[in-house]
Amino acid sequence: MKVLSIALNTFRENLRDKLLYNLLIFALLMIGSSLLLMRLTLGEFHRLILDIGLGSINFFGVLIAIFVGIGLVSKEIEKKTIYTIISKPVARYQFLLGKYLGLSLTLLINTTIMAVGLLAVLYFQDVPIQIVLFEALGTIFLELMVVTAVALLFSTFTSATLSAIFTLAIFVIGHLTADLKMFGQKMEGVGRGILDGIYYFLPNLERFNLKGHVTHRLDVAGNDLVLIVAYGAVYITLLLLLASLIFQRRDFR
Amino acid sequence: MNGVLLFRASTANVMFVRTKLVSLALVGALLTLVTLVTWLQHSLDRQLDQRAMRIEELAQLPRGEYLKPALLGYHHLGADILWMRMLQVFGKKHNSADEYAWIYHALDVVTTLDPQYAYPYYVGGVVLTNLADRVDLSNRLLEKGHRENPNEWNLPFLLGYNHYFLLGDAAKGAEYIGRATRATGAPTFLSGLATRMYAEAGNPDVALEFLEALWKDNPDLAVRENLAIRVKEVMVERDIRNLEVGIDRYRQKHNRLPTRLLDLASEGILPQIPEEPFGGVYEINSDTGEVSSSTHPTRLKVFRLDKDIQG
Repeated sequence: MKVLSIALNTFRENLRDKLLYNLLIFALLMIGSSLLLMRLTLGEFHRLILDIGLGSINFFGVLIAIFVGIGLVSKEIEKKTIYTIISKPVARYQFLLGKYLGLSLTLLINTTIMAVGLLAVLYFQDVPIQIVLFEALGTIFLELMVVTAVALLFSTFTSATLSAIFTLAIFVIGHLTADLKMFGQKMEGVGRGILDGIYYFLPNLERFNLKGHVTHRLDVAGNDLVLIVAYGAVYITLLLLLASLIFQRRDFR
Repeated sequence: MNGVLLFRASTANVMFVRTKLVSLALVGALLTLVTLVTWLQHSLDRQLDQRAMRIEELAQLPRGEYLKPALLGYHHLGADILWMRMLQVFGKKHNSADEYAWIYHALDVVTTLDPQYAYPYYVGGVVLTNLADRVDLSNRLLEKGHRENPNEWNLPFLLGYNHYFLLGDAAKGAEYIGRATRATGAPTFLSGLATRMYAEAGNPDVALEFLEALWKDNPDLAVRENLAIRVKEVMVERDIRNLEVGIDRYRQKHNRLPTRLLDLASEGILPQIPEEPFGGVYEINSDTGEVSSSTHPTRLKVFRLDKDIQG
């Protein structure tokens, strides 16, 4: 109950953020612009709408997750509003969880609005809409939730600017970890162990990328999808637990 | 009293006129600045873009293997944008040899970013073969496309075209056309083309096997009827080839041509003279030693443009 009310409050607070609307409008403009760009290409016209649409939803979603996520805790500490909350009988992990769920709700609504924009464009262009599109949107949302958890984790122990830089770095690295594994396999002994360790510890965000499947109308196997969702859920739990542990020991001055 | 009022009214009037003038001047200044910016940008474009042609940018593209990870999962969108930019330079009437090499490089990058993007392979295959005269590059691109998309019939079809018409390799051409017929959505005329190519390449037995496989795949009666005729035509071609080999051996032995085909059987060179599958007979031209069928006097061959022109 306490978690829920913090979540709803966070959601209301997010709605007042002008950044959110700027990014949302840009994303919708990008999706709409695919209609103009479509006239410049040759061959598979539909693929441009899908690529630009899903790309925009993913990219602007990540921007929202990072730039709204980093302020979740550090802003409360800066404005000293955190004292009014932790002086109440609310456990610190409940506070964190509420904050996380609040931003996740904001992201869910944002992704839905952008997805409706994309679906409208697809519908008016007579592009067949397939299940794999919704699966890809789902995994994009999962990626956003992982990025939010990373932003929240950094936000518990550094300033907003630093957490933005760190989260952005994790986002970039998260899409390149396949190379880490490849380098590890070419090494031996301790080097291999270290690289493998880093690979398994960092999030592999490429796993949530099903955009290509939508473009080429490839189906995703059911158990693959289950594994992807399980991986995302467990990784988010790990990040939130880590964030709670750090936040528990944090001293507010 | 009246004078004071009048004076006040006129000051107010002057003030009003002044603010109007100021705002007019501001609008004027804004318009001038916008015009100036547009003009400067335009002249910059004219001066700088002449030196750096856009097509040259294609040559400087990093290789797809390196570009792909840098796009952080947006490589499909990257392939779209690159393809779109390429199309804007494709449209020129003539490109130099260097430019075609760059176009190949750019197509290679696009198809490395998204190996399942079938259309660029196809367009590249056609352009590099027919406009650039670079069959080697065209084949390399099409081979890559065929490897990644075995279900696209037009990629092996173009490969077959390149090998048969431009490289003069009927056997390889037939093999590729044969592969094209097995892809989904392949047009039915392809199978006829493949058998003709196999027959011309000196492989009538392969052509017969191929036809048999097609027969099994096709439950359609009309198609089977056509296939049956094609089988007989290939059999004629096979028989004629066998007979001509026999005539050669006869000539080596007797230093002259046989007068009748039956001589080949009576001399023991061939076990028997084959039956003509359409019900006709095989005849030998006693002057040249060439064999022909009475029902199908012309040999099975693909009509070829360049040979026809050369005579």
